Amino acid sequence: MGDSYREGLEGLASAPGAEEAGEAPRHGAAGGEEHPSVAALRERFAEAVQHVEVVAGDEVVVYVPAARNGEILRWLKESEAFDFLQDLTAVDYGGGRPLQVVYQIYSTTHKRQLRLKAELPLDALELDSAVPVWAAANWLEREVYDLFGVHFRGHPDLRRILMPETYAEGHPLRKDFPLRGRFSRAEQTRRALALEHDDFYIPDELAVRRPRLEQGPAEGAQE
Amino acid sequence: MGLEPGREDTPMVLPGGQTFLTTKLDFVVNWARRNSLWPMPFGTACCAIEMMAAFASRFDLARFGMERMSFSPRQADVLICAGRVSYKMAAPLRKIWDQMPQPKWAVSMGACASSGGVFDVYSMVQGIDTIIPVDVYVPGCPPRPEGLIYGLLLLHDKIKGESVTDREIHRQLRFEDPAAVGQQALPPEVVSQITVPFGNSTTQNRASGLVSTGAQLRPRDRQP
Repeated sequence: MGDSYREGLEGLASAPGAEEAGEAPRHGAAGGEEHPSVAALRERFAEAVQHVEVVAGDEVVVYVPAARNGEILRWLKESEAFDFLQDLTAVDYGGGRPLQVVYQIYSTTHKRQLRLKAELPLDALELDSAVPVWAAANWLEREVYDLFGVHFRGHPDLRRILMPETYAEGHPLRKDFPLRGRFSRAEQTRRALALEHDDFYIPDELAVRRPRLEQGPAEGAQE
Repeated sequence: MGLEPGREDTPMVLPGGQTFLTTKLDFVVNWARRNSLWPMPFGTACCAIEMMAAFASRFDLARFGMERMSFSPRQADVLICAGRVSYKMAAPLRKIWDQMPQPKWAVSMGACASSGGVFDVYSMVQGIDTIIPVDVYVPGCPPRPEGLIYGLLLLHDKIKGESVTDREIHRQLRFEDPAAVGQQALPPEVVSQITVPFGNSTTQNRASGLVSTGAQLRPRDRQP
C-alpha cells in the first residue's frame, strides 16, 4: 500500500505540464501494460483517440474529439460494459484554452475505470448529450450547462439546475466570469428577493402551485 | 382646592416622559419577554452546529428562557441566522422574518451571516442586514456556544431597555410595515456601499467586473 501511495504521488508530480506537451504519451500505470479498454478504443476508433495520459499514478485519461463524443460513449457502454457514469463535469483552465468536458466512467463487470475528456473551443460549446447512454447524465449535464454554458445536443430538458431560471449574469464557473458577479450587490439583492417558486421549478413539478401575489384577487372577488 | 385635573401625575413623571406606572409596566413586560424568547433557528452552515451545541445539555439555552426551538416562525420571537446565506436563500429568509409575529428580534451569528465572511462571491449575501433588520451580531467563525450565549444576553439587555413610552422602539416592535414585506432592509445605495470589495485574494475589482479578468496561466495546470 505504501508503494502504490508513493507511486501515486510521483505520478502527480510528473504529470504532463505545459512544458512537456509534445512528449509521447505514457501508457498504463507505472510502465505496466496499457489499459485494455484504451487498447480496444484505439482498435475501434483509431484516429479518434487523440491522446492518452496517466495522471495521479493510475488514472487513465483519454482525449476524444467532441464531434464523435456520442458514438464513442455509446460504444464504450455497449462493447466495453462501462455501465456506470460516476461523474460528468467540466473544467475551464482559463487563458482562452479549450473547455474540457470530463466523463468519469466505471465498469462494474470488469472493475475498471476510465476518464474521457472532450475539448471544446470557447466559441463553440456544444456536444452530444450522454443522457441516451446513461440516464444519470441528465442532472449532471444540466449542472454543466448551468455553470459553464455547454450546450448538450439531445438533452431532454436542458435548463438551469442550481441558479434560478431568471439568472441573467451568465455561467458562473467560467474563468471569464467575474468572481463577484456582473451586477452590483444592490441589484443582486433586489433580484434575489424578487424570486418566486416558479423561478426554481417549472409549475408542473409543484404539486400545489401558489398564486402569485401581484396577480391580485381571484375572479369574482369584487362581488 | 383639591388636586387639579392634569396635575395629579406631575410629581410622578420621570425624565423622558416615563411615569411610575409605565416603568413598572415596562419592567414586567420586558422581564416576561426576555425570559421567554423562543428562537427560530435559521441554520445554514457550521455555525448551526455551534448553535445546536448551545441548545444542548452542556450549555443549555433553556436556562435563558429558550425552552424550545420554534421551527415555525409563527411561534418564534428571535430569529437566529447561523451560517452563510446564499442569494437563493435570501427570499426564504425574508419570508420567514415576515411571518414572525411582532415583537421580534434577529441575531446574526457568525462572520458569514454578518458580513459574507470569506464568501465574497457572486452567490452569497454580503450580510443578512441587507435582507432583515439585525439586533445583535455575534462574531466568530464559528462562534463558540459561549459567544452565542453572550450575544443573547446582550439581546436581553437590549430588551430590558425598551419602553412603551419610546415611540420609535414601540413602532419597530409593534407595527408591521406592509410595504416592507419581502423588501430588502437597506436601501440599494447603502447595500452597494457596505459590500464594496476589500481587495482580498483576487485581482478583480468592481470597476473591472464587467470585463474578463484573464485568468493567470499556471504552469502546473495539467494540460496536454
